[in-house]
Amino acid sequence: MTEGEVVAQTTKTSTATATGASGGARHLFTARDVTAVMPRRGGGETTVFQGLEFHVDGGEVVDLTGPSGSGKSTLLTAFARLNVYTTGSFALDGKDSDTFTPQQWRVNVAYLPQTSTLIGETVADAIRLPWTLKVRQGERAHEPKDMLSDAHIRATLDRMGCRDIDLGRAPRDLSGGQAARVSLARTLLTKPRVLLADEVDAGLDEENADKVADLLKLAAHEGTAVVRIRHRAPDGRATRMMVLKDGALREVPLPTAAQVAAAQRADVVDGSADDTADGTADEKE
Amino acid sequence: MESYFDIDIWGLVAAVVMVLVAAAISALMKTGVAKSLIWATARSLVQLLAMGFILEYVIRQNNVWLVIGLIALMLLAAVQITMGRATGAPKGLVGIVLLSLVVTMLLMLAIVAELIVRPKPWYAPQLVIPLTGMLLGNTVSALALGLSRFFESMRERYAEVNTMLALGATKWEAAKPSMISSIRLGLLPSIAMLASSGIVTIPGMMSGQIIAGKSPVSAAKYQFVILAAVAALTLVADSIIIALIYKRCFISYDRYFVPEPAKKLSFKDLVQLHKSVHPGEKPEDAKRAAAKEQHAQMR
Repeated sequence: MTEGEVVAQTTKTSTATATGASGGARHLFTARDVTAVMPRRGGGETTVFQGLEFHVDGGEVVDLTGPSGSGKSTLLTAFARLNVYTTGSFALDGKDSDTFTPQQWRVNVAYLPQTSTLIGETVADAIRLPWTLKVRQGERAHEPKDMLSDAHIRATLDRMGCRDIDLGRAPRDLSGGQAARVSLARTLLTKPRVLLADEVDAGLDEENADKVADLLKLAAHEGTAVVRIRHRAPDGRATRMMVLKDGALREVPLPTAAQVAAAQRADVVDGSADDTADGTADEKE
Repeated sequence: MESYFDIDIWGLVAAVVMVLVAAAISALMKTGVAKSLIWATARSLVQLLAMGFILEYVIRQNNVWLVIGLIALMLLAAVQITMGRATGAPKGLVGIVLLSLVVTMLLMLAIVAELIVRPKPWYAPQLVIPLTGMLLGNTVSALALGLSRFFESMRERYAEVNTMLALGATKWEAAKPSMISSIRLGLLPSIAMLASSGIVTIPGMMSGQIIAGKSPVSAAKYQFVILAAVAALTLVADSIIIALIYKRCFISYDRYFVPEPAKKLSFKDLVQLHKSVHPGEKPEDAKRAAAKEQHAQMR
């Protein structure tokens, strides 16, 4: 596919979705002209995608799929403005990201990495970490005083269905599924307006993947815009589906309930072995 | 109790013979260190004697500009050694290393020489130059260790730094664990030295004064002042440098990006540095010197 075609296609898609969603009203989050140019090993550059457009509103759960190496993680890190190889203009409530400090932008547009990195001696410390940062010092004044107490964190985790996670444990002793949920809880407790979840259910068993999906759906109910990168079969929680392939971002129709059920049955048989393989390949993006 | 036992030429010969015997034994055992042992011994003999003659000359002249010139040379050498040892550090740090060495050296001279010892004249070479040497020797290894550790840690903490940034951390907050680990590592040798001196070792300076016939108690006082000052100033130098370089691991909009490690500092860079410090000098001399050095390196 040539570059001209890529641009034409993305423009067409974006007009289609814009008319689809409440007649051109201002979106919660918009991204325009997103381009990723990666250095190639041994010199030279590769354009992963160019001129992509995207938007998402509060309460939505948008699934982002596509083959490995198509740049899904790159796109999400570009949204959070963490990626050094990407450019583009991003806005929240119509306010350009350049009018935010990097810290304020990332507080609002939170990227959740695929691998959970939990920092601290205990699970409770790991969850408290965002609240020790300078950007939230002012915010803490408005929060209840005991927000960082173990009891409060315990209650919040319980509400999120994480009864099995002991706050006093060292993060490295958690299972993969538990670590993924703690990492998700840490970000969710900061109440971002846009949550960019990078394949947080990769390598998890069916039960844990389901719990993670429930947490994200709950966040969307409370008004967060959720974007999920997924390799698994559809789980019926998405409100929109996008495919990133060959440098183009396209909206695809949601699977019907029957298709979801069929896909999930297949997934149980398949297992998630190939998900993990895809995941490691994706990290190189 | 002024008694001093000089070493004559036969003393030097005996020391060299000792090394030759050791080298012969290690050559028989095929350890492969014989050649480097002899080479290092020859270097050390030449370098120490040269330093001795230079110092003798400078002390006899007792000229303030000679003292300052010698200190400047020692500083440049210290920068070169720091950059050479700091593996994994990106290029473009020469200015910052020089700055932190100059600042700590001036602090050292101001506090230890002018406030505590108060020599007359104030630039007394027999005090000022050994002081500078002891400080630089210590700071250079601490800085090299600290710099390597900082960049290594920032590379290792790839996932952690990105996670922290994604949660809204500033550059400072995201780099802080690496800074702490770097400063701690750089300072460990100084602390160990402070704690072990007098029990395990008689530090070089104190031994020297005792051998030179000074009272061991006044030698101890001297040694303590120097060790304490060196430890404190090493921390200062390390902190200055880390505070100035941590931003190098980030680019615009506080995005994480650790620069490539630099290739080893070559003689050419030193000439470049020399030229930027003394812009009035003729470039031909420097160029000729660089060509000569390169020729020597190729052989």
